[in-house]
Amino acid sequence: MDFITSFDISASGLSAQRKKMDVIVSNLANASTIQTPEGGPYKRKVVVLAAEPVNSKFGSALNDALSQVKVQEIFEDGEGLKKVHDPTHPNADDQGFVTYPNVNVMTEMADMITVNRAYEACVTALDVTKNMALKALDIGK
Amino acid sequence: MDKVTTQKTVSNPSPQTIKPVGKDSGKPQGAFGDMLKQAVTEINQLQNNADKAITGVQLGQSGSIHEAMIALEKADISFRAMMQVRNKILDAYQEIMRMQV
Repeated sequence: MDFITSFDISASGLSAQRKKMDVIVSNLANASTIQTPEGGPYKRKVVVLAAEPVNSKFGSALNDALSQVKVQEIFEDGEGLKKVHDPTHPNADDQGFVTYPNVNVMTEMADMITVNRAYEACVTALDVTKNMALKALDIGK
Repeated sequence: MDKVTTQKTVSNPSPQTIKPVGKDSGKPQGAFGDMLKQAVTEINQLQNNADKAITGVQLGQSGSIHEAMIALEKADISFRAMMQVRNKILDAYQEIMRMQV
């Protein structure tokens, strides 16, 4: 069924946006976390998306041109950690500085809106695909 | 003009395209039935997938909501398509039964 290809591509988009959302929530929740199991403060995570050929069973040349999306990796952004002078803090270093995460709440909120819109776009594409399939079933009625 | 040419081809098909229908015509017997069976099996598989997906979501085991919803939509559309095929087959059958001999 050819409409299933569209469904699968939309599904990959939805999954990728969900993963991005998970990472954004993790960044926001840890916006002021100064201790991690690896040591040091929490570092902002960034999702890298990559295109992937659609694995359809038809395997036609037309489907080779299509690609769905997948999460390639989640990398840690170690740049721009904030150092605050606070000698009384238990996590302060020798010079009395505490290192805070490089999470900018404004950036995360903007990313969240982008993710939300992308998710909505995928759902709309899915709905349109479904309506097209249902319309095709009305042929000859 | 296009329409006329199309009609002409339909009314005068070349003899090569007409395949003999009889015992010596290869293996067409049951081919339609096989196809129907395969389609129904495929649709049943989609229904089972939808069932599994929604159970997984309800039990909080695995899978996300959108995957379950998409599985449901796939099952729904393929089932509707099967219903249309069934309606067409029944229409054809009843048309033949109404035929005056």
